[in-house]
Parts: sequence; C-alpha cells; structure tokens
Amino acid sequence: MPRRRIGPLLATAIAVALLAAACGTNQTPQEAVASGGTAAGGAAPGQGATKVGFIFVGPKDDYGYNQAAYEGSQAVAKKFPNIEVLTAENVPEDDNATRTMESMISKGATIIFATSYGHLDPAMKVAAANPNVVVVQQGNLIKGPILPNTGTYFGTVYEPVFLAGIAAGKSTKTNKLGYVYAFPIPQTIANINAFELGAKSVNPQAQTYVVNTSNWCDPGKQSEAAKSLISQGVDVISQHQDCTATITKEAEAAGIKVVGYHADASSLAPNGWLTGSEWRWSDMFIDIVQTSIDGKFTGSKYNANFRVGYKSPADQGKNPFDQSKFGPSVDDATKAAIEKAKADIMSANGSPFKGPIKAQDGTELFPAGVPADYATIEDKNTVFVEGVVGQIPKS
Amino acid sequence: MMDLATEVLAGGVRGGTSILFAGLGETISERAGVVNLGTEGNLLVGALAGYAVASTTGSPWAGVIAGAVAGGMLSAIHAYFVLDRKTNQLATGLVVLFLALGLTSMFGVAYIKATINPFEALTIPGLSSIPFLGPVLFDQTILTYLVYVLVPATWWLLFRSRWGVVLRAAGERSNVLATYGHHVLPVQYLAVIGGGMLAGIGGAQLSTAYTNAWYENMTQGRGFIAVAVVIFAGREPFKVAAGSLLFGAALALAPALQARGIGINQFALDVVPYVLTIVVLVVFGKRMAAQQPEGLKKVFEGAPAG
Amino acid sequence: MTVTPTPPATSPAADDSTTVTDPTVEDVLVPAVPAEEPDAVDDRWLRALRVTGRTIAAILGALAIFGVVMAMKGANPLNAFAEMITTTFSSPKAVGEIFIRGAPIILAALAVTVPARAGLINVGGEGQLVIGGVAAAGVSLALGTGASPGLAMALMIMAALVAGALWAGLAAALRLWVGINESVTTLLMNYIALDFMLFLIYDPWKDRQGSGQPATPAIPVGERLPLIGTSRVHMGIAIALIATAAVWLVFKKTSWGFRLGVVGGNAEAARRAGLRVGVLLLSAMAVGGALAGLGGFVQLAGTEFKLRPGFLVTYGYIGFLASWLAKHRPVPVLLSALLLSAIAIGGDSLQLDSKLPAASVNILMALLLLAVFGFSKSKKAMTA
Repeated sequence: MPRRRIGPLLATAIAVALLAAACGTNQTPQEAVASGGTAAGGAAPGQGATKVGFIFVGPKDDYGYNQAAYEGSQAVAKKFPNIEVLTAENVPEDDNATRTMESMISKGATIIFATSYGHLDPAMKVAAANPNVVVVQQGNLIKGPILPNTGTYFGTVYEPVFLAGIAAGKSTKTNKLGYVYAFPIPQTIANINAFELGAKSVNPQAQTYVVNTSNWCDPGKQSEAAKSLISQGVDVISQHQDCTATITKEAEAAGIKVVGYHADASSLAPNGWLTGSEWRWSDMFIDIVQTSIDGKFTGSKYNANFRVGYKSPADQGKNPFDQSKFGPSVDDATKAAIEKAKADIMSANGSPFKGPIKAQDGTELFPAGVPADYATIEDKNTVFVEGVVGQIPKS
Repeated sequence: MMDLATEVLAGGVRGGTSILFAGLGETISERAGVVNLGTEGNLLVGALAGYAVASTTGSPWAGVIAGAVAGGMLSAIHAYFVLDRKTNQLATGLVVLFLALGLTSMFGVAYIKATINPFEALTIPGLSSIPFLGPVLFDQTILTYLVYVLVPATWWLLFRSRWGVVLRAAGERSNVLATYGHHVLPVQYLAVIGGGMLAGIGGAQLSTAYTNAWYENMTQGRGFIAVAVVIFAGREPFKVAAGSLLFGAALALAPALQARGIGINQFALDVVPYVLTIVVLVVFGKRMAAQQPEGLKKVFEGAPAG
Repeated sequence: MTVTPTPPATSPAADDSTTVTDPTVEDVLVPAVPAEEPDAVDDRWLRALRVTGRTIAAILGALAIFGVVMAMKGANPLNAFAEMITTTFSSPKAVGEIFIRGAPIILAALAVTVPARAGLINVGGEGQLVIGGVAAAGVSLALGTGASPGLAMALMIMAALVAGALWAGLAAALRLWVGINESVTTLLMNYIALDFMLFLIYDPWKDRQGSGQPATPAIPVGERLPLIGTSRVHMGIAIALIATAAVWLVFKKTSWGFRLGVVGGNAEAARRAGLRVGVLLLSAMAVGGALAGLGGFVQLAGTEFKLRPGFLVTYGYIGFLASWLAKHRPVPVLLSALLLSAIAIGGDSLQLDSKLPAASVNILMALLLLAVFGFSKSKKAMTA
C-alpha cells in the first residue's frame, strides 16, 4: 500500500523544509524596542483609517467594564459614520486575542483598541507585526519604551472611588465596608486604598474588608464572597469585577448598601445604591481615533484625572469617568462632603493620596506635604493602606 | 456574625447544590451504563434556560422547569448518539458539552441584561434554630430543600424500587435484562434524559437561586466537578451528597477566610477535593471498581484492552 | 525500566468480568484499531461507498442545521459560511494561524492516539499539556537569564517530556497496580494540574516585575521557538509534524508499535503470547503523556512565553476529539487536529462578519463531530 506512506513522508518533508526556513526571532515589541528595533516608516499609523476594531474580554452587556468600553466603541461609530467599527466580545486573554486582532486587521482595521489588562501582551505582538496600525491598550500598563504605533490610556478612576468611599463611610453603621476584587493589580489596589481613605476621611472607624475571586467574572464566587463579607457585618459593599450584577443584587437582597463600579447599575439596587464610578470612554476614544486619522498619532500615554485633562491642562474636565448618580439614602450632608472633597482633589496638588498615609504594616506609604504624581501613586499602590483588612496574595 | 465552620458549611451546601443536582443526575445515568462527561453542558443550558424563562415569565419556577427541559433535551442528544448510533460515550459527552457552549453563547447574549425574581433563602421555622445545623441546612433556598429530598429519593429509586432494579440491570447485565423480556434501550434513554434534567435544574439553581445572573460560561467547571464527585462517591447518592458538600465547602472556604483577614491561595484549596478523590480511589479502588456497573467498565476501560 | 508482567489477579486487563465476551461491547466503543473485515473486496468497496455517502449526507445535514441556527439569530447562513472560509483560508497569514493554534492540539491528539493503540483511554491531555508547560517554565525560571539558550531549550524540552510522561504514567500505574480506570484518573488529574499551575502563577512563580496579573515572567528570547520566515508561525508546527511522522513510523515499523496493537486488540491473548502487557500499557501512556507535555512546551516557547490562567484551556479536550475523529490513526489525526483548529478560528469570522458570538462556532464543531461519529460506521460494525 504505497499510498499510505505519502502522508508521513510528506509531513516529515514539510517539517524539514520548515526547519530550514526558520529564521525569524520570536520577540515581543518591547524587547525589540529595547534592543534598538525598528520603527515604522512611511505614512503615520492609522492615518485615514476606515475601520476601527475593539476587543473585549467579556460580554458587552455586563453592567460593568466591558459594557463601558463597548459604549465607548459605539460613540466612535456614531461620531464617525464613515468608519466601520468591528467589535469582538469574550476575547480570551491569551494568544487567541492576537489572532482576533490580526483578523480585524486583515479585514482592513488600522486602529485597534485592546480593552482588557490581560490583552497587553497580544496587543504588543500585533503592534510590532503591523507598524501601520495604531494599537492602544486600556489600563496604562505599558512600562518602559513603547513602539510609535502603540499607546496606552486609562484614567485616575481612584479619584471618584475616593469620593464614593466618602458616601460609604458616612453610610455605614457597623464601620465595616466590603470590597470584592479579582486580581491584586496596582489599579485595583489603588481603588481599594482610595475607597478606604475616602471612608476614613469622614469616619475614622471605617475599615474595608477585602475578598478576591481570582476571576473577572465568576458569579458563583462573587456570590460567595459577598455572603462571606455580609456575614462578617459588612453593610456597604463595593467591587472591582468585570460583571457586577450578582454582587449588586446580592447586596440589595441583603438590605445593605452598594457602591457601583464601571457602569451604572443603580436599577439593580433601587434601595441600596449609594453612588459609584463609571467609565465614560466616548470622548477619549473619539479623540484617539481622530488623532490617528489625522496622521498625528505618535505613541503616547493617555491619562486623566479631575485636575488635568488627558492630553493637556486645557482639556480639564474631559475625563474618561463620571461619578454615578446618588441613591435615595445619600443625604445632603454627605453630598456636600463629597462636593468639598472633589474641589480639594481638583485644586493644585490635590489627590486622594495626600500624605501622611500609612500602609497596613504601619510603614509610611505617602509622606506628608509631598504631592503624589500619577507614577508615584501607581508605584506605591502595591500594598494596602492602614484600615484595609485582608492580605494581598503574596507577590 | 457566623463562626467560620457554620459559614463554610452553609456556603458549601449553597454552592454544592448545583453540583449535587448534576451529580445525582450523573449517578442515575451511570447506573444505567451511560457516562456523561458533558454534564458541564447540562448545567450551562439549564442556567440559561432557567434564567431566560424566569425573566420572560416572571416566575423562577417556570425557569426551573425550563432548565430541566433544556438539560433533558441536551442529554437526549447524548443518549441518541451513544445508545442508537453507538458512539463512544466519553467523546460524545465532550462534543455535547461544546454544543452547549456554543448554543448558550449564541442564545445567551440576549439575556445578560435581563432581570428575574430570584429564589430567596427560605428560613424553616424551628429547624433553623437548631444550633449549628440550623443555619447550615435550613437557611437555604427552596431548590436546596428540593435536593435534600432528591438524595434519598434517588437512593430509593435506584436500590429499593423495581424500576431501579431494571435500571441497574440495564447498566450491568443488559443481556440478562433482555432475556427477561425487558427493552433495555428505553430504560437507558429514560435514565440518561432524567439525569440530564436533574443537571439542568442544577444549572437553573445556579442562575436563579445562587448568583441571580446569567453570563456566558458562568458554570466555571462545576459540571466537571460533578463528574468527579460521582467518581468520588462510587455512584451512591448519599456519598454524592457528601462529596458535593466537600467540593462546595472548598469553594466557600477561601472567601470566608479572606473576609476574616486571612490570606489564602484559592487554588491550594481547590485542588484538595480532587486529590482526595484519587486517594479515595486508591484506598477503596478495588472495591469500587468491583461495584462499578458492567456497562461502565466497557466505557472506561476500552473494549480492546478489555 | 523493569516492570514484571502484572499478575492477572491484580490487573483489570485480565479481570474476567471485563474481558470482551459480550459482542455488544464492541459497539460501545469505536475500536481503536479498525478490524479487518473478512468479506470479499467488491463487497467492501460497495459498503465503503455507502458509508462515505452517509457520512457526507450527515456532514451536509450538520452544516444545514448550523445554517438554520445562524438564520434564527438573523445572520445570512450562506454569507456566513463564505466569510468563514475566506477569512480562514484566504491568506498565508490566516492559514498560519491554523498552524499556530493547531500545533499543541496535534500533540494533544497524538497523546490520545498512542495509548489508544494499546486500548487505553487518555482523557488527560488537558492536564498533561499544562504540566509540560509548567515543567518547561520551571526550568526556564530556575536557569534564569544566564544560561546558554540552546542548552536551556533542550532542558526545557526534556523537562516537558518527562513531566508529561510521569503525569500520564501515574495514571497508568494506578490502573496496573490499584485497578483504577485510567480515563477516570487522567480526567481528575486535569484539575490537579490546572490548580497546580494556578497556584504557582498566583504566588510562588508570579512575575514580580509584571503588571500584577497572575503570570510567570516571559521566558528569555533565546529560549523561544524560532519563527518560520517572516510570519508569526513558529517551529511548533514542525515539531508536531515530526511527532506525527514518528508516531506513524513507530506504529508501522517497530516491534513496540506492533505489540501495542496486539495488546489493544486482545490483552489476554497478548499475555498468553508472552507479551509484557503491564510494561506495554505503562509505556504507551507515558509516551502519550510525553507528547502532550511537548505540546505544553510548544505553546510556552512558541506562542505564550508565559504561563497564564487560561494556558491551553480546552486544547486537551479538542485534541481528544481530534484523535477520535481520526479513529486514532496518526496521519488522519494530524489532519483532524488542524481541521478542528481551523473551525475554532472560523469563530473570528462569525463574530466580525456575521455579528454572532465567536463561541457559536462550537455549535458547528459539535454538529460536524456528531455527524462523523454517528454516521461513519457501517451497519455491520454497529450491529455485529
């Protein structure tokens, strides 16, 4: 049966040919940049784009992170009627994301938004392979040198979280606040710390109990985490999860208060809703797309807070987030306290992380009198502040 | 405030309920000689159908029925291919799981934002004030109470009823059963579909009573846990209940410890029940292997190696 | 390794109650090695034609059902199929993606194929892939950045092979000496492997300089598989092709391969013929595990560079199905693994072109598998 031998022989032949053909180096773009790698030549990346791609790690209706990013993508579609917006939901945080982005590019997309923290490595791979495509990554996670066609954007969302912490600190009767989070990344730790600091600013007794779920969206674990916190006497709960419905509903059913995150979920907790922090990506996304189309994208770190706009001080007020509306139980005194704190943060040198602030172990994290800039805030928020109860999984 | 043991066990019962429904279903199916490796898929379709129908009709009970129907339908596909088309059970189970993943992803998008009237915890007067046991067992939702009844009912069905004799014979000595004039296939079909319905209810419990939400792939491996529990329990309903509680408690321990300020690596806990299962198999392996339905030996061990 | 032939009393393979006496047993499983049918050649051709016809009809039926399902969600089925095919096969870049995703799946499938020849069912590809990746990453971490890249890679490959072999071999050992089914233990050990990896990346092996997400540091550039030409396809596909050819060669040309087939055909007869069945079963499983472990290395060194929470999740199960789809024959296994990988990639097109969730493509994969599993056997094979 000579026919049968063709397959394996062919396989070996192909394999040998492939071995002979192998020559490329398997580098990530950051490494390529670091080792003096190439930059794009010719037209600016993303110039004259006609298609923009967005990838999301979860579903677009999650009452949370992905919903907020999806709404941003739809704002882009509305603003640029001639641009086709491609979206892909539930894109895993591994190399399959690389393929999905490459697929968007092969369909003509020249601007890509990779909207999850875990899409960082795939996004950088895609950027390196496609120098004419703008690849921006949500989360401000890129460290060190970056390629000219890549960018990162985020917002200092810990500022509205600090304000929400004030509402929580005023509301709690047991002085126990709860925070359910997924992974101990700096952005999450900054939020938890800001929440505790906000609460403590109006209620020195307030403590924040933290539980992690090791998953952006496992409703079963979320439910169990919320119940554990509630059984410990927590009467205000907040979260840093992608999908937020389970914990919000759990809090409402238990008759405790809830502080939202990512998107407005007040309809799920008509009684318990205090306030929250919501992303409003539309302006920033539109700006990134416009900048790219105009051929002016040069690789930049987008950042924003209440004090300065995300590109220049002239953009003040254009923030990628909002404070959510207040729930029925928030009284005028609390609202006034929040307004005052907001004004403080927006003033020169204002910040939720205004020293002296001690870490859990009593060491000084932010010294008194030294205003903390974004980079410092990000660097320092790898440990919990005093008043947070719980341990970070060791790292 | 609850003490740690009470909280973890109560959480284990709550979180173990869906696993237990699926485990009882798998037990019935395996006793009839059919393994369903795709129990995860039954949970998924049950969770979606339960949530979708509960949100459309406003009744969580309608959701439970829908979950059962969806789970049963999925298992009917498994049964047809395994029993009629004689396909390999393990491979078919996995295929049916992928089918469920796809279907729930495609048809679930519309229900992520939907809301329902969920099952609330129903404290049983009297019983719930028993120290320790009260808060663990009798402060749960009605679906958990349903599963309390189903454990002895399944045991009775399998080991005390005439139906159970026929069912187990279908799994163990199908040729003998046929000799006595029984039709083997209808019995196996009933067992597989019935088992799938129970798993479907487990899925509905997950979405309508436990998490009050539907998300793609929200079962997060609980169906595979159910398969492991049934192995652990040697297909005995009461041991399946114990195993579900064990796996559920392992899931509940980490948040309970963390809420008390104690750091813990979740995965060091998650792995314990699986290791324990293997230890149980090693210690009691021979006895359990001997008790295994004949039909299953063929599946697990592969015909050629005998 | 010196393992004495297992005494019949403790071996399930020799347990009378499990010996193939009941003809219906054969129907429960697709035989690992298709039995030669002793009929006339003409007859065989006719029957093969009929079976092929039925299989094709079933596949068309599967496509039609998926078309109806897509239409229910408002997509145009014909456009959707056309877009899927063009997106997946239209450019060398797109085809390259099939190889990138396919390489570990091929190895995971071969990990099922080798034990299946001896009549063993390995459901543990999922865990063996992970443990191979963990071992390779562990070696890379232990060596740090100072080691010579060539030596480091060789050690990583060795570690992945050995770890996979031991992981799977344990399941075979438990079957031989304690009498637990290998399909049960391999399944359970999938979760142990996954939890073990998650434990490591959340704590002891976590990248201290990373973004705080659970992942190991990226392995150094020198320890990564080279790319083929200017594409992003790495040498993993060549490794998978060589492995396939090697398995084929071993099955066809070596006495070990021949003996595996004898054991798989009838263990009791093999024992009476003096074969050391225990050693053969153990080695078949270990080789299978080693192949999957290699798959873990390929994914780590070729594609991901880091262990992450979703590392190779479901690849093992898809490999399992690929092996069954190909009836455990090495070269068809290669093709079926690439086919399943191409179908999964078709999900991108469903999402981008037809606005359906990417995971809907699982429906298509499942329907096609059911069609082939259920309708590719001759009536004789089913009723024999």
